[in-house]
Amino acid sequence: MTSITLENNDYKKEIKQKTAKPLLWIGLMSIVMFFAGLTSAVIVSKGTAVWETIQIPSAFAISTVFILLSSLTFYIGERSLKNNQLTKGKLFILATLLLGLLFTVTQYIAWTDLYKNGVVWAGSESSATGSYFYALTALHLLHLLGGLISLLVVNIKSIKEKYNTENLLGVQLSSTYWHFLTALWVYLYLFLIFIA
Amino acid sequence: MSATHHHHEEQDFLFKYIFSQDHKMISKQFLITGFLMGFIGMVMSTLFRLQLGFPGESFWAIDFFLGSWAENGVMAPDKYLALVTMHGTIMVFFLLTAGLSGTFSNLLIPLQIGARDMASGFLNMLSYWFFFVSTIIMLISLGVEGGAASAGWTIYPPLSALPQAIPGSGLGMTLWLISMAIFIASSLLGSLNYIVTILNLRTKGMTMTRLPLTIWAFLVTAILGVLSFPVLLSAALLLIFDRSFGTSFYLSDIYIGGQVLEHSGGSPILFEHLFWFLGHPEVYIVLLPALGITSEIVSTMSRKPIFGYRAMVTSILAIAFLSVIVWGHHMFVTGMNPFLGAVFTFTTLLIAIPSAVKVFNYITTLWKGNIIFSPAMLFSIGLVSTFISGGVTGLILGDSALDINIHDTYFVVGHFHIVMGLSAIFGMFAGVYHWFPKMFGRMMNNTIGFFHFWITIVCAYGVFFPMHFLGLAGVPRRYYTNSEFPLFDNMLDINELITWFAIVAAFAQLLFVFNFFYSALRGPRASQNPWRANSLEWTAPVEHIHGNWPGEIPEVHRWAYDYSKVDENGDYVNGEDFISQVVPLGPNEKDGGH
Amino acid sequence: MVALVAIVAVLLIVISAVQTLKIAELWAINKGKVIYEVTKKQNKTQALLMLVFLVAYFAFFAWQVWKWGDLMLPVSASEHGVVTDKLLNITYAFIIPVFIITHIFLFWFAYKYAHNPNRKAVFFSHSNKLELVWTIIPSIALTVLILFGLSSWNEIMTPVDSEKEHVLIEVQAQQFSWNARYAGNDGKLGRAGVEFIEGINAMGIDINDKNAKDDKVVRGEIHLPVGVPVQFVFRSIDVIHSAYMPHFRAQMNCVPGVKTQFNFVPTITTKEMKKITNNKDFNYILLCNKICGAAHYNMQMDIIVESKEDYEKWLAEQKQFAEN
Repeated sequence: MTSITLENNDYKKEIKQKTAKPLLWIGLMSIVMFFAGLTSAVIVSKGTAVWETIQIPSAFAISTVFILLSSLTFYIGERSLKNNQLTKGKLFILATLLLGLLFTVTQYIAWTDLYKNGVVWAGSESSATGSYFYALTALHLLHLLGGLISLLVVNIKSIKEKYNTENLLGVQLSSTYWHFLTALWVYLYLFLIFIA
Repeated sequence: MSATHHHHEEQDFLFKYIFSQDHKMISKQFLITGFLMGFIGMVMSTLFRLQLGFPGESFWAIDFFLGSWAENGVMAPDKYLALVTMHGTIMVFFLLTAGLSGTFSNLLIPLQIGARDMASGFLNMLSYWFFFVSTIIMLISLGVEGGAASAGWTIYPPLSALPQAIPGSGLGMTLWLISMAIFIASSLLGSLNYIVTILNLRTKGMTMTRLPLTIWAFLVTAILGVLSFPVLLSAALLLIFDRSFGTSFYLSDIYIGGQVLEHSGGSPILFEHLFWFLGHPEVYIVLLPALGITSEIVSTMSRKPIFGYRAMVTSILAIAFLSVIVWGHHMFVTGMNPFLGAVFTFTTLLIAIPSAVKVFNYITTLWKGNIIFSPAMLFSIGLVSTFISGGVTGLILGDSALDINIHDTYFVVGHFHIVMGLSAIFGMFAGVYHWFPKMFGRMMNNTIGFFHFWITIVCAYGVFFPMHFLGLAGVPRRYYTNSEFPLFDNMLDINELITWFAIVAAFAQLLFVFNFFYSALRGPRASQNPWRANSLEWTAPVEHIHGNWPGEIPEVHRWAYDYSKVDENGDYVNGEDFISQVVPLGPNEKDGGH
Repeated sequence: MVALVAIVAVLLIVISAVQTLKIAELWAINKGKVIYEVTKKQNKTQALLMLVFLVAYFAFFAWQVWKWGDLMLPVSASEHGVVTDKLLNITYAFIIPVFIITHIFLFWFAYKYAHNPNRKAVFFSHSNKLELVWTIIPSIALTVLILFGLSSWNEIMTPVDSEKEHVLIEVQAQQFSWNARYAGNDGKLGRAGVEFIEGINAMGIDINDKNAKDDKVVRGEIHLPVGVPVQFVFRSIDVIHSAYMPHFRAQMNCVPGVKTQFNFVPTITTKEMKKITNNKDFNYILLCNKICGAAHYNMQMDIIVESKEDYEKWLAEQKQFAEN
């Protein structure tokens, strides 16, 4: 470890190398707490409110497959870049982005299915159960939007061949966040099955 | 750089003072913004104290400050509630969370652990600007149609959800929620930075057990923030959905304004659970930094090591841990399961143990010390006093059987203002007096500081101590006046006395404002280590430079509390009554007060 | 004009304060002082003030007890209240000495160990024995408080046994008044909900429910028989309210969409309490104690505790719901 001195004035870069990942991890912790708050709200509501049973749209299952696949492609892409297989890396990271978009589309399909089945988001016809369905999935998607933006940036940079064995921080951050979103989705999906 | 010289300078100004990423500048921004908000909150409290002390009387000041909220100088009942709500919100969140933690975490973390800056200067800057935007939105909400949020700072639905219930629950509450959401983002960004900086950027030799207690307090505070603020955000989001989109998370079976609402199936109790899951840790988010600051000052000014460093750290951790499992004690009379109530009573009363340990350790630190009464030290001793005075009544409120009768009375108001409000603001004042030379390179005036302290503590107790008696007489809080029915007619004298103390206390703060600005601009220049203290910030030059230390960051060799350490002959080790953390250990010397 | 004069006056005060301060500092520097150091004299004064404050603080405390002690709530008018009052006194017996002793130590040490250049502070950084002592002592005291507190809490929260003789009253809160209904002869409350609220039926009682027919709706005041357990059920139709009956040491929130309950046994009639408080206008009261809107401060209802005979006589005069 080189010592940080004012003369070389590089301390900002070095600080970034040292702290970017922990910053992300603790940020993820706060997102975990956010969803923990929401899901425990569901459990409290389930105990008190009138609870309705809901048919879970199959599109949610499909989107689960998509996001699991996207995590896999991201993992392979990241490892390829690490091994300096830049072309392979580019392709897999692009695939991740596409799978992420597919996930978004299937989420939308799932919502329309829900709506067709008479599960509405708000108003006199709504129930807390249905509202939670929409709220939980939409808030996850909102976080995924951030993931997609970071993926877009990573894609552009990887196409420009900015990443290699030495310089991988951006990809690592993005993939950590992405895997987290996958895990979060799996948790929410199981949770939805449980509450429905 | 193709920019002209002039342009370059302008840019410099913009980035040095406005969009600065330097932790020292950000800390000053937090301090000034926090104090400004605090001042507004204080004026509000003085105004509604006028109403309570002299119900229905017309006042020039009320007319001047409130305008259309107060016809003929008498505030309207719903505007009284708006003032109470905004006072609570501003004081708890803007002054004592962002103002206190934001200021001192930013200033002290890099300087005391030996880091060039925060983990991410950019996020740190964002954190301040989110905070700034949220204050602006909150202030704007004061002027909107229907008035500011008026449902109490705890914004329980349905009151906060239905504009039919109170006018402030219209646009005012919407802005409140938006402001709070941005505030939470600010707080989270700050907390992330504090945690990562402390864990990753300590200088060589700065082990966790050598950290000053301030840093421990900031660390635990930030962790509590990361754990609890997101839950408040989720609660607020669901409330926004209920208000603006017609969902029914919190609402059910409501008949208001002559019609039945279509919401059904929700429960307001859910909001209370989510809110207090943040709300109680929030108390310690406010309090712990103040306790950390006090630990540092009491030790330095007593010229003695802090007594029981490890016990202090353990008790901070214990308090933080307990604070996330006690939220139910705010809800004893909501009809909660009696068994749950019993559990919450148990966990709540347990907090008394680590708190008592802290108090005893402070007192033992004073014992056989060599005390210098700087204004910072006075406020620190004041904090220990308020922490005791307000803390002991917590044993009454935390006991579910006793809480039934004093829940939501003035007893609660007295309790939390002393133990949380006064303690935290005393800690903040102490911090400002103590680290002013580090912030502004100049010293504050002691004499004005002495007057500020004594008037403040006397008036503060004069305001809040009598409130316990009001509460024991059954006077509910958040009443616009106590003279509408005869039960509380005898209490008017007490209310009047409280109001007089509040007015004097408010004016006494002008002493501080004057001292602050005078000293920042004209005060005598500070030397590098004016308090002859050990911790690392006093090894940095008085002038602020990027990166904090010219050349290498100093290496740390000992804990921060080697004050008045003597060798076997009874002479001071190192010749003076303090040994900076950068001085290597002598051959026979042990570290950490052994 | 007034504002202008005020601004000028404030400006002048600030300017003169700045000048005075500057001169005072220059004077001090001239005399060779490091002006921000706390001088020996100042330190002595502050130390002395610590003692003065200690005495004044205790005197203020004593003065308040002396002056306002009589204004506190009178003896509890409910059975469980006597127990919680006792618990309160036990807690006082614990916390007031702690408050006094710690304050004496705090301010006395501050006074006694004020800075003296000829003395060295004692390097005393930890003592496991001491720290153990002040962890264990509060723990023991707390155990006592917790055990006592929890046993009375459980007792208070147990609903009245429905087999036993008792009075069942539903209290409904709304902005900004209280409604109440007695269960009637069948001892059962009929169904009610916001959807049934119409005109005179402010409590939203379901007219078609057979249990509702003999329910008795009362407004303005409620009457309770002395010595008989009263089971309250609370509802709210708009926002959260809290039914607070300080003289009975009773309180429970009224939450829209949820039914909550509380019970107590009144032990002192209104008449007796007038004598005890020496106040012929005394009346028990039910207050709203949860912020509920603009007129929150004036949402109350009288409670009258009387002998069983008087109570029954009063109740008989009240109309049954079906009669309306």
